[in-house]
Amino acid sequence: MMKKLFSILLILLATALAAPFASAAADLEVNTPAISSLKNSMQTRHGQLAAHYASGAIGLTKDGLIAMHDANAVPLAQRQSVNSLIAAENGDRNALYKEIASANGHPEWQDEVRSTFAQRWVQKAQNGWWYQDGGAWVKK
Amino acid sequence: MRFCPHRSPLFLLLFFLLAFSSAANAVSAIHVQVGAINSPGFTANKLALDFALPAQPSHPQLNFQTQLVWHDKTAAKENSRMALQLSCAAITNPQVGNWRCERGLLNAERIKAPFSLSFTTKNLNGQPQISAELSLLDVNFSDAEGLHAGEKVAAKLSLNAFQQSRIWHWQSLLDWQAGEVFWQPFYFATGGHQFKANGQLDVLSAQPSLTLDNAELQLKDVGAIQGNARVSLSDNTLQTLNINADNLQLAPLYPLLLKPLLDKTMLNNLEMAGRANFKATLHNGKPSAFELDLQGADVEDKNGRFALYKINASIPWAYDESRTIKASYQGGHLLRLPLGAANLSAELNRYALTALSLKLPILDGALDLSEVSAAWIDQQWHWHLRANLSPIAMSDFSQALAWPRMEGKVAASIPLVTYSAGQLSTDGDVQFQVFNGDITISKLAMQTPLGLAPRLSANMQMRHLDLGDLTRTFSFGAIEGKLDGDVNNLQLVNWKPTRFDAVFKSSDGSYPKKISQRAVENISSLGGAGAAAAVQRSFLRFFKQFNYAKLGLSCQLRNDICAMDGIESTPQGYVIVKGSGVPAITVLGYNRNVGWAELLTRIERITDSNAKPVIK
Repeated sequence: MMKKLFSILLILLATALAAPFASAAADLEVNTPAISSLKNSMQTRHGQLAAHYASGAIGLTKDGLIAMHDANAVPLAQRQSVNSLIAAENGDRNALYKEIASANGHPEWQDEVRSTFAQRWVQKAQNGWWYQDGGAWVKK
Repeated sequence: MRFCPHRSPLFLLLFFLLAFSSAANAVSAIHVQVGAINSPGFTANKLALDFALPAQPSHPQLNFQTQLVWHDKTAAKENSRMALQLSCAAITNPQVGNWRCERGLLNAERIKAPFSLSFTTKNLNGQPQISAELSLLDVNFSDAEGLHAGEKVAAKLSLNAFQQSRIWHWQSLLDWQAGEVFWQPFYFATGGHQFKANGQLDVLSAQPSLTLDNAELQLKDVGAIQGNARVSLSDNTLQTLNINADNLQLAPLYPLLLKPLLDKTMLNNLEMAGRANFKATLHNGKPSAFELDLQGADVEDKNGRFALYKINASIPWAYDESRTIKASYQGGHLLRLPLGAANLSAELNRYALTALSLKLPILDGALDLSEVSAAWIDQQWHWHLRANLSPIAMSDFSQALAWPRMEGKVAASIPLVTYSAGQLSTDGDVQFQVFNGDITISKLAMQTPLGLAPRLSANMQMRHLDLGDLTRTFSFGAIEGKLDGDVNNLQLVNWKPTRFDAVFKSSDGSYPKKISQRAVENISSLGGAGAAAAVQRSFLRFFKQFNYAKLGLSCQLRNDICAMDGIESTPQGYVIVKGSGVPAITVLGYNRNVGWAELLTRIERITDSNAKPVIK
C-alpha cells in the first residue's frame, strides 16, 4: 500500500516537474519564413538604432522590448522618427517571441521566450548601453 | 492662503509687484516668504520674493523662486517636482500704470526662457483694462520625457483685455517667429506660424468658461484654419469646437500634420499634392460632423505600393445622419497594376460604410466590387464584399508585374470576400485562363495581408496547360504536350512556400508529345546530377528530341524538404518521363528528398535563359 502511494507521489512529482523541463527545451534558434523575415527586418533596422543605443536615447527593457530612455539625446527633428523606430522594433520583437513559441509547438511559452530574450539582449548589449534592471535604468 | 487655479503664477507675481510698489520708495528691499500655496492642480512650496531697490540710476530688481509640485490626478505616477525661478534684471515704470520687466528670465529644470514683458493697467469708466506684450527670445524647454520640447524659440505674444460685468473680453496674437518645436508626434522645423483670437473669459460665474471667437491659425506654406471654441474651466474640457479650413496645400500639410498622425498606417510614407478643404464640429466634447473635400489631389506611396492621381472627393460625415461620399480619380496604380479613371460613391453611416457597386478599371478589364459593407468596430476594420474581375489580358498583366510575358486572360468571380480582425477569406474561385488551359485558385485565405509576415493558404488546380507555351515562357527546354497540376494545402508565409502537396503530370488524351534534349537534361538535373550524366554518356545525346508517353513529378513540401516522386516507382528511384517509340528515353529521378532551397536554386539556374545548365 505504502509502495503504491509512493509511486503515485513520484508520478505526480514527475508531472509537476515536466512543465518547467519542457519549457527549458524551447529551441530559440528555430527557423520559419516568418521568423527569418522578422529577423531580417530587425537586422536592417538595427543599423538605424545602434547610434541611439550608444547615445543612451534608447534602452533595453526588462520585457525584451526597447524604450525611449533619454529623448533629449536625440535632436528634435529626429525625435518622432525614433519613436516610430521604437514602435516598429517592438512590433517585430513581440511577433518574434510569438512565432518562436508557436514554431516550438507551444504558443503558451511566449512569456518564457520573451524573458530569455530579454536577458540575451542585455548580455549582447555593448558597454555604455542602457537597460532596465528591475524598475531602474542601468548603464552597462 | 488658497490660490485660484485659473490664474497663472505670473498673476501672483504681478499682484505682489503692484501691491508693494506704492510703498517701495521708503525701503531698499522687500523680502516676502510664503510657506505654501495649494491648488487642486499643484502646490507651490517655499515661495520667496525679493524686490531690491538699489540707489538711482539703477532700476529695481526682482527675484522670485518656488518649489512647484504637480498633483497627478491619476495618482499612477509620483508627483513631479520642479524648482522655478523668475527674475527681472530691471523693472521700470515709464508711465503711470505701465510696468516693464527687462532682461527677464524664467529658469527651471529643462526650461530656460529669457523674456521681456510690458504690462499696462488702466481703469476706464470703472472698467479695468490690461494689455501685455511678452517677447520670448531664444527659449529652450523640454519636459522630462522629451516629448514636448522647443529650441531657440522666438515668439511675441500680445494680449489686450477689459472687464465688463464680471466677464473679461480679450484679444490676443501669438507670432511664432523662429525656432523648432517637437510636440509629440508633431515637429515644426521653423517658425512663421501665427495664431490670433479674441473671446471671453468668465471665471467668476458658477460655470467658468473660456470662449475663443474668430480664432485663426496661420500655418506657414499650408494655409489658414479658422475656428471658434468653448472650453469649460471647471473640468478643462472642450465643449464645442468649429473648424473651417479652405484651400490647404496638401504638399506641405502632409509632412507637417498628416504623416505624424498616420504613422502606424499604410499611409505613413506618401507624397501628396493638390488642395483640401476641411470642416469639423465638436459638440459636448464629441465629434458630431466633419467634411473633407479633396481637389485635384495626388497621392503617391513612396514605397511604390500604390498611387492615385487627380482625386476629387467629397467625404462628409455626421454622427447622427447618413451621408454620401463621392470620389473620383483619373488614374493610378496598385502594386504596379495600372488603374483607370473611376467614379465611386458610398454611404457613410456613423462607423459603417456601404456601397452597392464600386467599379475599379484595371488595365483592359475592371474589378467590380458589389454589396460592399465595412464597419469600424473596436479600432479595427471588418468588411465583406462580392468581387468580380472582368477578363484582363495576361500579356498586359504579366508585363505590369514584370513577370515573363504570358498570353491568355485572368478573370475571377468571388461571391464573398470577408475581412475581419486581420483575416481575409474567400468563398469562390479565381480563374486564370493562361497557356491555353485553366488555373483555378480556391479556398484562398490570408492572415495579416498587410503585416510583416503575411500568411496565405489556397488550393490550385491546373488543367491542360500548353507545355509548349509554358516551357517557352520560362526558358525551360522545349516540351510539346499538355500539363495538369494540383497544388493542394498550399501555405505561403511572407510569400514563401512552407507547405504544399503538388502533383504535375501530362494530361490524359491524345496530342503530340515530344520532349527536347535540353528539356531532358533540365528535368534530370532537377532530380540530381546522376540521371543527366547518364543521358550525356549514352548514344541518346545525338538526338534533338524524343517522343514520350507520360511525364509527371510530384513534391510534398514539409519542413523545407521536398519529398519527390514521379509517375511510377523503380527499384532505383522513380520515373519522371516515360519514353515511347524509337528512340525511347526514360528519365529517372534518384533523390527522393531534396532540400527546397536547393531545388529552387536548380530551377533558377535552368530558367535563367542566359545560363546553360551546369551538368557535371
